[in-house]
Amino acid sequence: MAYEAPLEKYPVKIREVILGGGEKARKIGGENALPLHFFEGSLPNPPGLALEVLDTRPENWAPWILEPFEDVASDPMSWAKKCVEEFGAEILCLRLLSTDPAGKDASPGEAAKTVEQVVKAVDVPLVVLGTGDEEKDSQVLIEVARVCSGKNFLLGPVLKGNYQEIAQAALEHGHCIVAQASMDANLTKELNIALCKFFPPERIVVDPTSSALGYGMEYTFSIIESIKLFGLADRDNMMQMPVFADVGIECWRTKEAKESRDQGVLWEATTGITFLLAGANLLVLRHPEALRLIKKITTP
Amino acid sequence: MILIGEDLNVMSKVISRAIKERNPEPIRECVEGQAKNGMDYLDLNVGPVKKEPAETMEWLVKTVQDYTDLPLCLDTTNPVAMESGLRICKKKALVNSASGTTESRETMMPLPRKYSAGLVLSVINDAGLPSDADERAASIMESLEFANELGIPNEDIWIDPVLMPIAVDQRQVLSYMEFIQMIPDLAPGAKSVCGLSNLSYSAPKELRGLLNRTFMVMIARYGQDAAIVSGFDEELIRLNRGEMPEIVELIHKAMDEEEVDISSLSPKERDYVKTTQVLMGRTLYSHSWLEV
Repeated sequence: MAYEAPLEKYPVKIREVILGGGEKARKIGGENALPLHFFEGSLPNPPGLALEVLDTRPENWAPWILEPFEDVASDPMSWAKKCVEEFGAEILCLRLLSTDPAGKDASPGEAAKTVEQVVKAVDVPLVVLGTGDEEKDSQVLIEVARVCSGKNFLLGPVLKGNYQEIAQAALEHGHCIVAQASMDANLTKELNIALCKFFPPERIVVDPTSSALGYGMEYTFSIIESIKLFGLADRDNMMQMPVFADVGIECWRTKEAKESRDQGVLWEATTGITFLLAGANLLVLRHPEALRLIKKITTP
Repeated sequence: MILIGEDLNVMSKVISRAIKERNPEPIRECVEGQAKNGMDYLDLNVGPVKKEPAETMEWLVKTVQDYTDLPLCLDTTNPVAMESGLRICKKKALVNSASGTTESRETMMPLPRKYSAGLVLSVINDAGLPSDADERAASIMESLEFANELGIPNEDIWIDPVLMPIAVDQRQVLSYMEFIQMIPDLAPGAKSVCGLSNLSYSAPKELRGLLNRTFMVMIARYGQDAAIVSGFDEELIRLNRGEMPEIVELIHKAMDEEEVDISSLSPKERDYVKTTQVLMGRTLYSHSWLEV
């Protein structure tokens, strides 16, 4: 008798989320199998790889992470263009660092204006992130949602303390959201349940929060893995959202990345690849070389 | 199930102050309330009692015994407090608790025999809390052997498998249920006991009772002998007395994955079914488990 490999088939799938619009719109998620288990089901969309753009000139970046952007670092529009045209980014992540209340504390209006200009400069899908300050992010992201109505951004992070306001604005103005709950699948589920009372689940991406190689990467791996298992194997429909990982910011904080260029690039690429193996659907990367390496590995 | 009322507890501000001020009135109220509700034992949780351990426990035991004849379960990690309480207990008391740690073996485990008391023996050992049912079994076997050698028979031992909060680790709840079914084989004659309220630690306050009650019915079915519970949860007490057989039957059905027509149920019945599902580990726990 011929050998038949035992296969795990799941009758459910991770929701497919559409980012952006027009020809450059990208889909993420949609798989009914665990990462790389092509023999068990279909993984229709390759992982989304976003390059990060800051809305203000970065401070204290190591020379080799600043170097690719040196000529555009003070101008988010040119930075965004360079990421798309020169580095081949298919998704951008605009981090509104200027709005940090502990830093420049730029107003929601100023931030939204920058976003508006970046949108005009590029046509790829946009992730727009605040700084994680619940109160300020709520003001900023609501303004961004309004000013860029209908652009189908991925807005985040949406937290337990501000999900109602931000998700309401995203709903009204046609955007997706990143629901963030730190390192706890139970809390991820709880936030999703709360959101889905008024927000469409197919517009939610979850962020269990990331950590870099050597700084707790295993925890992130386990939690991404368990989210996918709860969603597919346990068929928990509140756990079937694509997973987001903010990789670059964590990696370029590390001592090792700051020590040398090659080490930094590999640190970021290794961390990113590891999260893809766990099941992440969308990575935010910082160094174009890390993007190139991951793309090379993930492109058939 | 044997119910041990947990409400005399220093974690309660009222009780804590009453003990500190040696004011018997709040103690009386708490004792009589629990006794009236049908508790079989009263737990006296005084914590580690850093100050005046002997005097504090003595006062509390005396005061409690002024208002009730119920047997007591002395709950402290301080062996001095434990011993001074045991010395004056009128009924056969329980030592709550000892464990397999070196310190506990030396200080707590010798006390029950000396004062003809029962012993609550937890599965914790020097390595901490065992992570699954098999490790719990291995740990308790060693501690049991040690206790037996000290002259404490299995009949005087109440095994505490240590119930962890579902919000911390749902899998621990499953291994708890697996383990209690092993106890009759591991330790014939011994009883099982747990701190039931710990299950719902950090869950929304208004939903804690529902988790506790549902789980009580579930573990009773698996042979749990006793639990330390809120002496003021009237529904729990009625469930335990067999006064709500339709809820018990529903929980059993949900445990067995029998078809239950959710739409035909009352909201309360539906909540019990959903809670059973979560406690059986069939769906991932979240604080809003009733809302899905």
